[in-house]
Amino acid sequence: MAAAGKRQRWALRIAAIPMGFLALSCLYPMFFAINNALKTRHDYLQDRFGLALHPTFDNFVQAWTRSHLNEYFLNSVIATLGAVLLLTVVSSLAGFALAVLRFPYRRFLFVVILSSLMIPVQVVLVPYMRTMLALNLINTHVGLILSYTAFFLPFSVYMMTAFYSGLPRELIEAARIDGAKLLQVWWHVMVPLGMPALVTLGIINTLNCWNDILIALLTMQKNRTLMVGISALKGQYSDQIPLFTAGIVIAAAPIVVLYIVFQRRIVSGIAVGAVKG
Amino acid sequence: MALLFVLPAILLVLVFRIIPLFWGFGLSLTSATSTDPGEFIAAGNYLRAFDDPNFRSSIANAAVVLVSVPIFVTIPMLLAILLDQGVPGRAFFRSVYFFPVVLSSVIIGSIFSVVLSFNGSANALLKVLGLPAVDWLGSSATALPVTLAIQSWSTFGMGVLIFLAGLSTVPKDMVEAARLDGARMWQIWWHVIIPELRPIIEFSMVITTIGLLTSMFGLIYVLTGGGPGTATMVPEYLIWSAQGRLNQPAYAAALSIILFVITGVLAWLQIRMMSRNANL
Repeated sequence: MAAAGKRQRWALRIAAIPMGFLALSCLYPMFFAINNALKTRHDYLQDRFGLALHPTFDNFVQAWTRSHLNEYFLNSVIATLGAVLLLTVVSSLAGFALAVLRFPYRRFLFVVILSSLMIPVQVVLVPYMRTMLALNLINTHVGLILSYTAFFLPFSVYMMTAFYSGLPRELIEAARIDGAKLLQVWWHVMVPLGMPALVTLGIINTLNCWNDILIALLTMQKNRTLMVGISALKGQYSDQIPLFTAGIVIAAAPIVVLYIVFQRRIVSGIAVGAVKG
Repeated sequence: MALLFVLPAILLVLVFRIIPLFWGFGLSLTSATSTDPGEFIAAGNYLRAFDDPNFRSSIANAAVVLVSVPIFVTIPMLLAILLDQGVPGRAFFRSVYFFPVVLSSVIIGSIFSVVLSFNGSANALLKVLGLPAVDWLGSSATALPVTLAIQSWSTFGMGVLIFLAGLSTVPKDMVEAARLDGARMWQIWWHVIIPELRPIIEFSMVITTIGLLTSMFGLIYVLTGGGPGTATMVPEYLIWSAQGRLNQPAYAAALSIILFVITGVLAWLQIRMMSRNANL
């Protein structure tokens, strides 16, 4: 700010020092994991803090193959991609209808979907598992995909509804007068128009699905996802820290890459969701 | 036709969340086990909860957690105001502060469990400084505060973002006018900026509280498993262990309903704020 007083500028400069330490603390744990994953067990025990002087990728290779992270990785990818795709389709369909179309009980249905925010998985843990059992969905990718979609849906529907209701109505009316069927309007008009919001949602939902532990822990004991796998490795590898941290790095890598690439989008997308609230 | 568009969303929410909620309430009134439907025992499971020392400590711990909510809200708010006032390096801070938010609680918990284990790096550092080692996660005095500190470290970036978004709506000329009137920085903060942020503070309190009650599972699962003893036992973790390890699904269902009552009021507030803003 140009008009800021000299005194305030100094105050802000001084504040930047502790804020800088806080920023370092945000980066250090991931650095710690990567650095130690590159050490041999012996090097780690010799020096925990120093840089890996003789970097080795053995830990990564071992974690990937011997510790089955390759299988877990695949399970996480399938569940995340499947759920993100399904969430995109379901929430843009619902958002389109709720924001643009006029039909009875529209508001009521919106409230029903939103109010399921009051029901996190812990609150329905036992009956949710029994539902999964009854539908034969335990230990299946389809089951996990449907579960993720159901539990991450309300925010997505909310965001698409809010996004679509902010669009100029003429755009949609024009398409309808052309005699296009609703499904065509959705595919040819609403999906392209909704792209900015859908991409942001896709990223946020990727984070949610990839990072989930509780739902996967409940339903995928036989087909572990990465997060379930990593938490199981923790007990096993307490005396092989470099190997364990290599597992951590593998499990976090896709998210770290996603964050680096889409940082602006993630930050602004989440901010939009927040201000709306 | 329009209804068909909403149908997939409604169906998913009904099958996995709304119907299970009612089913769970029904279950909570029985003595069911994983193999036996059991019989109707009315409020038996609820009465049992109040005699269960695990449940009592989970509620006591939840109370400690909730007392810390103002800290969880205030720190991000102050950081956001500083960023908004133009701290040098603000773009860098903004993106780095958000980094822990995108990491899974499993990843964060795993790294901290290595750092904080008794023969881990934190104690190695203390030794270098000539200080005695601390059993960070293994002693009941420190386990809960440490877990909470990690939770707040891993989520404060979200709060910063929410407050930054809110700050962008504070009229700049109000701040400027106050400054021309000779107000000091802290006076401007206290009398102009913070009152304007009130709705954001409320929103942040609500979502932080819900978050603390329903999203610490991963961290606790990886870091402490609710222990030592019951030092980090919270309701959501107790529900999980009652249904799994203890094989007491009906009891777990009753605990779930209790958690629902506690969080439901808060979530209702959140939903009201959200639907007010969706322009329907």
